[in-house]
Amino acid sequence: MKRNNYIALGAATLLLGLSSCSKDYLNTTPTEYVNEQDVITDITKAKSVINGVHRIMYNQWEAQDQAGQGSININMDVMGDDLVHTAQGNGWFNASYQWTMHRNQTAGTVKFLYRFYYRIIANVNNVVNNLDNIVASEEEKEFLRGQALTYRAWSHFMLVQLFGERFDAGSANDGLGVPIVLSQSVEPIGRSTVAEVYTQINADLDAAIAAFEKGEERSVKSELNKNVAHGVKARVALTMQDWATAAEHAALAREGYDLMGESQYTAGFNDISNPEWIWGSHQVVDQTTYFYSFFAYMSANFNSTNIRSNPKAINSWLYDQMNDTDYRKQLWSPTGEGIPIPPNGSAFPYINKKFLSISSSSSVGDVVYMRASEMYLIEAEAKARLGQADAADVLLALVSERDPAYTRPAATGQALVEEIWVQRRIELWGEGFRFLDLKRTNSKLDRRNTNHQQALCEVMEVEPGDNRWQVLFPQDEINANDKIVQNP
Amino acid sequence: MLGCLFVGIAFGQQRAIRGQVRSQEDGAPLAGVSVTAQGTAVAVTTNEDGQYSINVDESVRALVFRYVGFQEQTVAIGSSNMINVTLQSDMSELEEVVVVAYGTQRSTTFTGSATTVGADQLEQRPITNAIDALAGAAPGVQTSSGSGQPGTAASIRVRGLGSINASNDPLYVVDGIPYSGTIESINAADIETVTVLKDASTAAMYGSRGANGVIMITTKKGKQGKTRLNVRALQGISNRGIPEYDRVDAYGYYPLMWEAYRNSLAYRGSNPLSLEEANKKASEDIFGLLAYNPFTVPNDAIVNENGVLNPAAQLKYNDLDWADPLTRTGQRGDYSMSVSGANDNTDYFFSLGYTDEEGFTKQSDFNRITGRLNMNSQIRPWFKTGLNVSGSTSKSNRANDGNSTGYANPFYFSRNMGPIYPVYAHDPATGEFLRDLNGDLIYDLGGLRELGLANRPAGASNGRHVVAETLYNLDRRNRNALAGRAYAEVKFLKDFTFQTSVGLDIANQQNEGYDNNIVGDGAPAGRARRTNYIYNSYNFNQILTYDRSFGKSHVNALLGHENYDYKYDYNYGFKQGIISEGNYELINFTTINSLTSYKRDYRLESYMARVNYDYDEKYLLSASWRTDGSSRFSPDSRWGTFWSFGAGWNLDREDFLQGASWINALKLRTSYGQLGNDALLDEDDNPLYYGYQSLYSIGINNAADPGFIQYQLSSDLVWESNTSFDVGVEFALFGSRLNGTVEYFHRKSDNLLFSVPLPITSGLLERWENVGSMYNEGIEFDINGDLVRNDAFRWNLRLNGTTFSNRITALPRGEIIDGTKRMTAGSGVYDFWLRDWHGVDPNTGAGTFVADNVDAAGVYELDGVMVTTDHNNAKFDYHGSAIPDLYGGITNEFRYKGFNLSVLLTYQLGGKVYDASYATLMNTGNYGAAWHADIENRWQQPGDVTDVPRVDVTSGFRSSAGAQSSRFLIDGSYLAFRNVTLGYTIPQSLLSKLTLTGATVYVSGENLAFFSKRKGMFVGQSFTGVTSNAYQPARLLTLGVNFNL
Repeated sequence: MKRNNYIALGAATLLLGLSSCSKDYLNTTPTEYVNEQDVITDITKAKSVINGVHRIMYNQWEAQDQAGQGSININMDVMGDDLVHTAQGNGWFNASYQWTMHRNQTAGTVKFLYRFYYRIIANVNNVVNNLDNIVASEEEKEFLRGQALTYRAWSHFMLVQLFGERFDAGSANDGLGVPIVLSQSVEPIGRSTVAEVYTQINADLDAAIAAFEKGEERSVKSELNKNVAHGVKARVALTMQDWATAAEHAALAREGYDLMGESQYTAGFNDISNPEWIWGSHQVVDQTTYFYSFFAYMSANFNSTNIRSNPKAINSWLYDQMNDTDYRKQLWSPTGEGIPIPPNGSAFPYINKKFLSISSSSSVGDVVYMRASEMYLIEAEAKARLGQADAADVLLALVSERDPAYTRPAATGQALVEEIWVQRRIELWGEGFRFLDLKRTNSKLDRRNTNHQQALCEVMEVEPGDNRWQVLFPQDEINANDKIVQNP
Repeated sequence: MLGCLFVGIAFGQQRAIRGQVRSQEDGAPLAGVSVTAQGTAVAVTTNEDGQYSINVDESVRALVFRYVGFQEQTVAIGSSNMINVTLQSDMSELEEVVVVAYGTQRSTTFTGSATTVGADQLEQRPITNAIDALAGAAPGVQTSSGSGQPGTAASIRVRGLGSINASNDPLYVVDGIPYSGTIESINAADIETVTVLKDASTAAMYGSRGANGVIMITTKKGKQGKTRLNVRALQGISNRGIPEYDRVDAYGYYPLMWEAYRNSLAYRGSNPLSLEEANKKASEDIFGLLAYNPFTVPNDAIVNENGVLNPAAQLKYNDLDWADPLTRTGQRGDYSMSVSGANDNTDYFFSLGYTDEEGFTKQSDFNRITGRLNMNSQIRPWFKTGLNVSGSTSKSNRANDGNSTGYANPFYFSRNMGPIYPVYAHDPATGEFLRDLNGDLIYDLGGLRELGLANRPAGASNGRHVVAETLYNLDRRNRNALAGRAYAEVKFLKDFTFQTSVGLDIANQQNEGYDNNIVGDGAPAGRARRTNYIYNSYNFNQILTYDRSFGKSHVNALLGHENYDYKYDYNYGFKQGIISEGNYELINFTTINSLTSYKRDYRLESYMARVNYDYDEKYLLSASWRTDGSSRFSPDSRWGTFWSFGAGWNLDREDFLQGASWINALKLRTSYGQLGNDALLDEDDNPLYYGYQSLYSIGINNAADPGFIQYQLSSDLVWESNTSFDVGVEFALFGSRLNGTVEYFHRKSDNLLFSVPLPITSGLLERWENVGSMYNEGIEFDINGDLVRNDAFRWNLRLNGTTFSNRITALPRGEIIDGTKRMTAGSGVYDFWLRDWHGVDPNTGAGTFVADNVDAAGVYELDGVMVTTDHNNAKFDYHGSAIPDLYGGITNEFRYKGFNLSVLLTYQLGGKVYDASYATLMNTGNYGAAWHADIENRWQQPGDVTDVPRVDVTSGFRSSAGAQSSRFLIDGSYLAFRNVTLGYTIPQSLLSKLTLTGATVYVSGENLAFFSKRKGMFVGQSFTGVTSNAYQPARLLTLGVNFNL
């Protein structure tokens, strides 16, 4: 008995000790994430990060009006004068239309505008700053470097246009821009001056163009390449009123991208294989976009409450600027008839069928970010500003494709510039340019004497230089970053 | 230690002692009384006739008789081998044995703080989830108000909040083993006790998992005596427990909207109209803006140019209440039966339960079948083993209240729908119902253009229809759960026990979802989703205990090892394009939208030790130590060490109090210890297992190209530590007519696991860091007394309350602002940080805030204060805390002959509520959206002094006046009639004819009445004090019967 008891005690003690587990019992690894260490040392995984950035260009963020760049493009047009809300619809984008969204620092959309670009910057920084540690061919690495730097430049460019003061080539541009972020940091970073931000943007773009020269070619148009880098450079230069650079890079950007014809123009602007698209997002059916897609608000045919009740129309004045021979004119209906509205949809005058989703039950569609036409328009405007004689020829090359009856404008100087602007507004309607163009050209927002209804838009005119041309910094950033000085 | 072992091994002569135990009160034999040979582990229990027989060593001097609800009695063994005993009932000894970590402890020698809710408090209440019984029942325990969704439990906070961003949920331990399942899988009728362990000395044995308190659930066991059959049946109904807010009706709505539109014309910044022009235009336009005319007057003559509703206006239709078609009287049935018993060696209990509960909102219910078997067998004097296994299967349809402002949320939608929009389609001209080809009514989706109907405006959720969506959609949760606990226990060397236990909690949950193809998010294609969760956890421990008395000293020591492994397996599929109606299986849909799976794993390994010592049950000491290694931390900081000390002094056993016969029990106790918390949570409050790593999300693919995106940045995370101090006094006075506990507690948390907001420029919104310290400090009391106690009538009043405060003492980053709260050193976690509302400017009717930057444009002086109407320039300030000043419960129990009546009230005094639901209803005008009746107090003309701004549909005006501010804070005090039960115990004389041994019938009501500062406000739905459009608690009325055979 005694002996058995001692054996039992011994066995019990032994069991206590032995039942403890092997040393790596407590090392667990997730299956839905990869470790950062793997990402920054492996070319395939680094490439996946750039792919992730391509994807968040059209992913939903925190709300259904936050579908990456497509939603930002909607805001940029809704805040302008060319895109008209026909009704309150179900409320989406109404505050942007009324110019209150971007002046409400607690608005979710304000945070989205800001976070979207800094998240892209953070991800591409982690790639570009670790490329030297990765063993891979130079072509692969330089291709990633070019994409990362183009994204970083483009993101800072969008941020400074939204949150910073307007760039004015005639001044020092030492007003407040946005924080410049070049490496992973959780520390508060203050706002650099507008000039400093543009300096960094240009440095990144120049480095990106050089990297693309050495890198491999892209395989799909949702990736970036040197055309995209030149195109961003052209936009930046246009905004900086650096006309020569704008004209030069606009021409480089459209190399290899021919203008589309009428049948493609009227096919819904939803197909990345379009020959003149330089850059866009390509959506596939199993990555469906529900009610947040660009097409859930902008298309004629998707069966969403927003499209049914608030189809988007063109400014009636702008519509009237098109000749009847201009096939672009088919994209809008002055009576509201002939538009493929969804069942139970409302039709209003001047609503569009420029954008079509692939079916009324799916909001999937490719989203365009850059196409050759814009580059013609940049080149034409830059050359017109420079007083170069071929400015009108560049414009004619584009518009005569759209309107066979269009003749070379005889005007020069500001009159020619204004003709180019009208063509730009028609050609790029709904593609996210108008607010930025108004700010860039220091123009007044003027919605009067058109089909804009004051009960819906509330704001009919905004003078250039008004504080409201700057988006307020989001409250969350002010809370977490004490170096941010809020806009007036 | 081995030296001590020899002492106990001497064997002497044995003698058999027999006898009977009876209750002094009524002389009835008592079954199940524990009879112990003093100073030994030898014990038996009495049979159904109260008889026992025990073989004791000759050296044993006395027998100790213990029975729940009766005073313990020690009887010296004389020459006779027959000892008959009568036990005196004693309320203070009800909690004689306290369920503690890895065992039980007698309450007299217990140095910790625990509160127990017993089966008697559970069995007459119509509750599906046993945790609901903790509301108001235990001091120091704060419960959220619970949801009307059948089956769901209230959340629990024990003694304030230990953590800011990591979990504050207590650990649930079922039958001695940490439980990974959901409490809703447990049949409340199977539960013997629910014990809340609140202080360090009780919880530290669970180390990292006990920092937020421990809730120990012990299920029923068979008791000595004849086999018993118990049957319990409850049948009841469920209704809405809290009424809707008072809202403006159709007659009030049109003129008010007219005024809001008129004001937007007359007060707009650019080219305002004169009041006269604005009045005229408002009368012309208002119908077009609201789109619906529910009145029997022409569309252009609804509101005249003085803003008055056409006196001829009568409603053309009255289906304007959107909650009504979704509300019903739910049925609730709850039936269970159990069989239990025990012989000398084996006890057994098995049960079956069936619960079927309908919520008061359609498409919400809970249906559960449970079974349990609990068996313990003393196979040899030195070897005992047992198994407790339970299974449950449940099906539950869920009301869609996950998103407070979601279109498919029936509570949000119906609350905020303007009162002029009908549920069903009507002919706009005549108001007649429109019907489809089958003659059925048609839901008005708010945009049926093809039937000639208008689009409802944006504020009236155009294009959505919550009644149709609720009825057509599917959101069902099916869960099968198995919980098993098994142990083997070996006694050896007289004083040693070795026990090894295995606990297994397995659950498979399947969520089925369908969004219909007619209206809402799923339209027009229809879409279905299926989520499968597999939870697998096991807990394996080995415990060696040593228990021995040396003279008047008694030592109980424990050494143990435990490991825990929790696996979570997730699969999700989502397809759209329904093929044939009514079939919601994924095969019946055309296009895959999402298909994914992943696994997560959490492991913990622990070693522990504990020593309890008492001298003559007078002086009590305890100490415990535990170390945990958690997979949630990096190998460098994985191991945490936790410990506690406790001491107690039973003054009533001192000689100097022997003269004070009015003192039945008096104990002073204190404890101090350090616990830890590793329970990181993700943004959806789900457990986060990999918080210390820098990670990229997989699956952010760009079309066919694989993609990652940064998800989380690492930091050097260590354990959050929680240091608790507690001192209390327990007493029973005047023949135990007055009992109580008063305690002070102080919980300090350091190295808080904090989800620190990052500058957005970092690319991420937050990251986990160990930041700062805070403490919770408070007093809790629990007093109960028999106000009247005589043979026929007894009135017992129990009152408990807790008051505590929470303070952050260090926050290295200065301040953290999160929603309505700002945390900084010196503030509390639940202190409201809101714009400082200054009131309505009597000249303009605009809402004003105290200005932050007084030099900014638009700042002016009002009542001597620099104010602004621009909420972006409003000054933020602290405005009190969501933590109540005092909260608790009051229980009245009356017994008269066979009747018992119990009334449980829960209350809260003080504490602020940010009434977000009310704030939405107090918008300054949003075409189509509902208004609270308080909007009648709006500013109307210069000179009006009011706190409600003018109504004005201008969106900038609306967003400023409606911005989160102190305007919407309100006192959160409330009083709730949580439960009232009236029962009748059928006399034995009647029962014996039916061969029954006991029977009761009762009626019981839950959530009978609720009094708060604002009608409709659902206080306490969250600890943060912010209301949302959630499923309100149900009022349950139930008839029950309970009998034993």
